[in-house]
Amino acid sequence: MPIKTILVIEDDRFIGEMYVRSLRHAEYTVDWVVDGHDGYVAATSKPYDLILLDIMLPEMRGPDILKAIRGSGGDKIPNTHVIVLTNFDQDTESRIAMQHDVDAYLIKAEITPRKLLEIIARLDATPLTA
Amino acid sequence: MEVVPAKTPRDTTTVQPTEEIAPQPESTQKIGDYWPRYRQQASVITVVMQLVVGAVVSMALSAGGVPFESPLFWITLLATFLVSVVLNLYMVHLLLTPLRDMVNVLKNTKGEKLTEALANPNTPRYQRDGFKPVLQSIYNIAAEQQKSPDPATNDPLAPSLKAALHQTQMGVVIMDAHGTITYANDAAPVSESTTGGKKLDLIFEQDDAFTQWLATSGETAVHAQHTWLRVSNRIVGDESRRIFNVTANYEKGSSAEVVLTCFDSTDIYLPEDNELDFIAFAAHELRGPITVIRGYLDVLDMELEDVFAPDQKELMKRLIVSANRLTGYINNILNTSKFDRRHLVLHLSEESLDSIYGIISDDMALRASSQNRLLAVDIPAALPTVAADRSSLSEVISNLIDNAIKYSNEGGAIAVSAREKDGFVEVSITDHGIGMPANVVGNLFHKFYRSHRSRETVAGTGIGLYICKAIVESHGGKIGVTSTEGEGSIFSFTVPIYATVADKLQANDHTNAGLITSGEGWIKNHAKFTG
Repeated sequence: MPIKTILVIEDDRFIGEMYVRSLRHAEYTVDWVVDGHDGYVAATSKPYDLILLDIMLPEMRGPDILKAIRGSGGDKIPNTHVIVLTNFDQDTESRIAMQHDVDAYLIKAEITPRKLLEIIARLDATPLTA
Repeated sequence: MEVVPAKTPRDTTTVQPTEEIAPQPESTQKIGDYWPRYRQQASVITVVMQLVVGAVVSMALSAGGVPFESPLFWITLLATFLVSVVLNLYMVHLLLTPLRDMVNVLKNTKGEKLTEALANPNTPRYQRDGFKPVLQSIYNIAAEQQKSPDPATNDPLAPSLKAALHQTQMGVVIMDAHGTITYANDAAPVSESTTGGKKLDLIFEQDDAFTQWLATSGETAVHAQHTWLRVSNRIVGDESRRIFNVTANYEKGSSAEVVLTCFDSTDIYLPEDNELDFIAFAAHELRGPITVIRGYLDVLDMELEDVFAPDQKELMKRLIVSANRLTGYINNILNTSKFDRRHLVLHLSEESLDSIYGIISDDMALRASSQNRLLAVDIPAALPTVAADRSSLSEVISNLIDNAIKYSNEGGAIAVSAREKDGFVEVSITDHGIGMPANVVGNLFHKFYRSHRSRETVAGTGIGLYICKAIVESHGGKIGVTSTEGEGSIFSFTVPIYATVADKLQANDHTNAGLITSGEGWIKNHAKFTG
């Protein structure tokens, strides 16, 4: 199933707008929420093809959202790709734990919108692993 | 070998026996007093006993009917007495000789004057009757005791030396040929090891640098010396961290075979490290704005492509290249800080160098063209796959290309090539720039090192090559350079071919732990600090 709908969970306005603008430019349907709790609600109430997830978020942090969605309670969104996008330097264990449950773990400072579009296109070409 | 201790020249006349042996007041007696008195007693007793024998013989004679007046009585009595006195005295002498010899050895050991020569344990008699090993053991014990004389009385320098070693701020460590610590003064960076001995508390840039040097010296050298700069006892961030310049001396067969002197240079080195630590902290904060700058530049570049005039496009290119370089520098700082804290863990997986270069190829092409360098890349797609951490290794290549651009001239050619070599893939970055003299090459990969010339002419932090080396060695590879002044430099590094290390990697959950072979590696340390 090709990726069409994307949920961006990102509290930084500049960065959020940047992703939303370039994703819409590439003709994706994009929803954008700025806090973790809204992100969790949106992720579980509407079937997205892809979620871009930040780590440092107000109300509910990225790893907690991921745990709630894909933790011990089973995978609530098996048909959704998840990409973690962060500038936060996590310790290795937490990073590896997160990497296990997502399709990509990227450092924002190194990913330009164009590169993000390339990565999404690559994800589209590979089947869901979750 | 037989050991016969020489008579000691010492004239100590009073013997001070230790308390356990003789706590009594008469303990001030000399060993030498014992022998003459004992021999005299034994002789007197022998003679008296012969008198008793004579009396018994005379009684037996008179009972047998030999009259007092008869010459036979007196002749028999006298003959019996004389013969038995002489024979018995001789027998006592024979029996007492071993005792005399033993007493003489002890006398000599205690420094008392000898009146006769020390006995030889190899006399036919002692060999025959088996006393030889007994006497020999006593000689050996005596010789052992004389080997370890009280240093205080022998060497007037010893007490002040001891005090000096205690007071000095320089760490002094003495080891035997196996690297076991036999002495360490108070300032030395050593700690108790788990086995009860002492172990060196030094973290060399390459973990086994010292052990290797010691092994090589032991095999090939009679005398060797080596100095390591900036060796710390703790990782960055530890309160008790000290940083030393360490010099090791090796002298084959000496009683102090290996001597390490550790000059505490914390005052010089620590401010630089703290500065880097602060910058790393700040660099993390810089990532947010950089994301926005790079992102919006990218968006503008896409959306305004048709609007810009050619010169404006060039300006745009320069903005993008500069923002990308800034990202690279920030990564260097963050990685160095992580490496120094032993937090840098690489996840190695099967990768092709071709695809790793793909991560940075656009950026590198843009960077080279905006600075008027001709970048030629030849990384054959058919090379075997390597065990690598994609982003870290791409940073190494990007750092080396960045250096090649910095240290070459406008219009200069830079070549990136890769080839298979002895179980590794070797990547080389060749420039035709200013090159460097041999004396610079040796220090090139040290932290904060910058040659005097480049300090004045080229901007930089001196951590780019340091982190390159750290990353390459964490892959289990090597990095090096050949350079000719005025002609250019070739930086080369190797990474292991995936097939050669796949087993080790799988055993270590794909971290680089198995590739770093030394026991006290930084990967091991790392576990302590993130666990």
